[in-house]
Amino acid sequence: MKKSESTHGTAAFLSGLAWALLITLICSISMGNAFAADTIKIGYISPITGSHAEFSESDPYMISKVKALLKDGLVIKGKKYTVEILQKDSQSSLDRAANLTAQLILKDEVDLLLVQDSLSSITAADQAEINEVPLVSTMMPWQAWMFPRKGDPAVGFDWTFHFFWGLEDVMKCYTDMWTSVETNKIVGGLYANNPSGQAFANREFGLPAAIASIKYKEVDGGLFIEGAQDYSPFIAKFKTGDTDIITGLSYVQDWATFWSQAAQQGLKPKVVTMAACLLFPSGLEVLGNRGDGLTTEIWWHPNVPYKSSLTGESAAQLAAAYEKETGRQWTQPLGYAHAIWEIGIEALKRAGDPHDRDAVREALAKMKMDTIVGGINWADTPIKNVSKTTLVGGQWRLGGKYKYELLIVNNNAAPQVPVQAELKLMTDLK
Amino acid sequence: MPDTPQVKSSFSWQIKKPIAGPIILALAAVFCAVFPLFGSTGTLRLMNEIMALMIMAQAWNLLAGFTGFVSIGQQAFIGIGAYGLFVTSIETGLNPFAAVFLGGLAAAVVGILSAPALFRLRGPYFAIGTWVLAELFRIVILNTQKFGSGSGLTLARVIKTIPREYRTSGTYWVALFLTVFTIFLVYFLLRSRFGLAVRTVRDNEASAESVGVNILRIKFIVFIISAFLTGCAGAISYLNTMFINPYATFSVEWSALLIFVVIIGGIGTIEGPFIGVLFYFFLRETLSDFGTWYIIALGLVAIAMMLFVPNGLWGMVSKRFNINLFPTGATVVMKKG
Repeated sequence: MKKSESTHGTAAFLSGLAWALLITLICSISMGNAFAADTIKIGYISPITGSHAEFSESDPYMISKVKALLKDGLVIKGKKYTVEILQKDSQSSLDRAANLTAQLILKDEVDLLLVQDSLSSITAADQAEINEVPLVSTMMPWQAWMFPRKGDPAVGFDWTFHFFWGLEDVMKCYTDMWTSVETNKIVGGLYANNPSGQAFANREFGLPAAIASIKYKEVDGGLFIEGAQDYSPFIAKFKTGDTDIITGLSYVQDWATFWSQAAQQGLKPKVVTMAACLLFPSGLEVLGNRGDGLTTEIWWHPNVPYKSSLTGESAAQLAAAYEKETGRQWTQPLGYAHAIWEIGIEALKRAGDPHDRDAVREALAKMKMDTIVGGINWADTPIKNVSKTTLVGGQWRLGGKYKYELLIVNNNAAPQVPVQAELKLMTDLK
Repeated sequence: MPDTPQVKSSFSWQIKKPIAGPIILALAAVFCAVFPLFGSTGTLRLMNEIMALMIMAQAWNLLAGFTGFVSIGQQAFIGIGAYGLFVTSIETGLNPFAAVFLGGLAAAVVGILSAPALFRLRGPYFAIGTWVLAELFRIVILNTQKFGSGSGLTLARVIKTIPREYRTSGTYWVALFLTVFTIFLVYFLLRSRFGLAVRTVRDNEASAESVGVNILRIKFIVFIISAFLTGCAGAISYLNTMFINPYATFSVEWSALLIFVVIIGGIGTIEGPFIGVLFYFFLRETLSDFGTWYIIALGLVAIAMMLFVPNGLWGMVSKRFNINLFPTGATVVMKKG
C-alpha cells in the first residue's frame, strides 16, 4: 500500500469544509432570532405526513386562508403587528413533535403554539409547560391528553389548554345510538393497543363501563396490536357471544382487515360503531360498498349550527368553500383546524400585549367564546384547562355527492344540532 | 524446476499514523466545549439531537460496517436505554443526566442476554432477529402498566425540578462526553489487535477462525459495546423529548434512519457516520417544512446515493483524494529475517 503523505493538506482542507458546513448550519439556525419585535410568531404543528396525515388534509387550505386573513397584520390595542406563521409537520411522531415544539419555543421564540395533532399534543404540551409558553391543542380526547402527562383534572396545567370532547361524551354518543334501536343488547368490543385504544378499553371510564351503565352485556374482544393480520379470535368470540353491536377503536387499515374477515366468517352485526377508522370518507371508501350503515361520532359537520368568529362563515359555508376550492369532500378536522385559529387569534387580542406570555396565558385561562365548533370555555370548566366540545351520532350511507355521505342520526347530547335521518340497522340495508 | 530462493520471513501489520484526524477531533471538541457560551438553547438542543444520532450511527457502523453483521433492531437498545432512564429517574428520583448511563447499562445487559440467541443467526436472519428483539420489548412494554404501557411515560415532572439553565446544557454535556468517548473508543478499538480481528471476521469468518480468531468472543464484545452506546444515545434522545411511548421508541424507523445516515456518509469508516448525520440534519433543517416533498427528497437522495456513490460521501472523497482522517485499515508488513 502506497499512500502519499502530501494528502494531509487536502485532508485538513476537507475536514475544514465539513466543519464549515456544521458551523453554517448552526449559524443559519441561530439567525432566526434576528426578527423584529413587532412580529407575532405563531407556531402551528400538525401531522402533514405519517400515519395521522388524514387529520391535516384540510390544513394547507386552512393555513392559506388564515395567512390571507392576516396578510395586513393584526391590530391589537391600536398597535399593528405583522403575523408570522411557522407551520411544522410532526410527521405523526411524538418524538418529532417534542423536538419541533422545543425548537419553535427556544429557537424561533414563538408567542403562541397551536397544535392540531392527536398524539403530538402530549409531547408538545409537556415542552410548552416546561418552557412556559402558551399552547392550545385539539384533536384528542381530553383524558388521553391529560393522564399520560400525569395531569389532575382538579389542578390542570399552567400553560397548556385543550379543546375537544372526552371519552364520557363519545361513550354517551355511542350508547344513545344503540338505545335508539332494537337489538339483543350484547356488545362486542375490540381496541387498538395505543393510548387512545387503551383509554377506550379502560374498564373504569372506557366503553366497558358505558356498556354496563346502560345494562347491556359486553363481550370483551380485547386489545390488538396495530398491523395485526388475523382477527379470527375476535370474530369467533363475537359470533359465539351473539353480539348485535360491535364497537371499539381502530385505525383504517386494521379495521379494513377486520371488517373483510368478519364478512368472510359470517359475522353480521346490526349496529357497528367504531372510533377513529370511520372518521374520514377515505376510511369508508377502502371498504368498497361494505361501509354502508357503519356509525361513528360526529364532532363537526356542515350542518352544525355554529359560525366562525374570524370570517362569519357558517359551518355549511366553510365546508362548501373547502369542497369548491380543493375538489375534495369535507372532513371533520376542517372545523377544528379553523377553530384553533379563532381561539389563538382571540387570545392574542384579549391579552393586549401578544408578546406577554403571561397575559396570553391569562386570556386563555379566562376564555369564553363562540367558534365554528361551538362554545369554548376555559374560564369555568370542571376539568381544568380543558374545554369540552359537543358530539352527535352519525351514520355513513352510500350515495350523495360523493361515494359516501355522513348523516347526523342522533342528537341527544346536543339538541341544537338538527338530525338529518334515522339510524338504520345494518341488517335492514341492501 | 527453477530454483526458488527460500526466504525466511515473518509478518507483521501496521496502521498509518493519523495526523489530521485527532487534530480535527481536538479542535471540534474545543469548539463544542465553548459552544454553550454563545449558542442559543434552541441550537444546543439541536446539537443534542445531532450528537445522539452520531453516537447511534457510530455504534451501528461498528456492527455493520466493521464487524459485518447488520442489525435492524437498534431501536431495541434505543428503547431500553430510554426506558431505563425514565423508569429509574421517575421511580428513584435519580438525576436524569446520571441515569443516561444506567440506560446504557440496561441496554448492555439486554445485549448480553440476547446475544447467545441472536448469534445463532447469520446475515439477513440476524438482521430480522434483532428486529424481533425490538418488537418483543415493545410488546412487553405495551403490556406493562409500570412502564406506562401504550400510553407512555412523561419526564416533565422530573425535568421541572432541574433549574432551567441546566435542563438543556446538562443533556448537552452528557451528549458531548459520550460522543467524544464513542469516537475515541471505536477508533482505538479498531486500531488495536482486536480491531484487526474484528475486520477479519467481517471479511471472512472461516479464514478468521483458521488463524485463531475467537469469532464468538469478537462478535460478543462488539455487540455489547454497540448496545451500550446505543442505549446511552437513546436515553439522551428521549431526555430531549421528555416523553416516551413504545410505538415511537421501538419504531423500526430508528434503524432505517441509522442505515440512511451511515450509508450516505460512508459505511465502514469512522468519518462516514459523522458526515452522514450532518448531511441528514442539513436536509432536515432546510427541507422538512415541505412535508411530503421532504420525505420524497430523502428517498430520492438515498436511491441516488446507492446507485451513484455506493461508498457514501466520505468513501467518495476518501477515494478521490486518497485520504483517511482516522485510518483503521491495516497493511501487512513483511520483515525479512
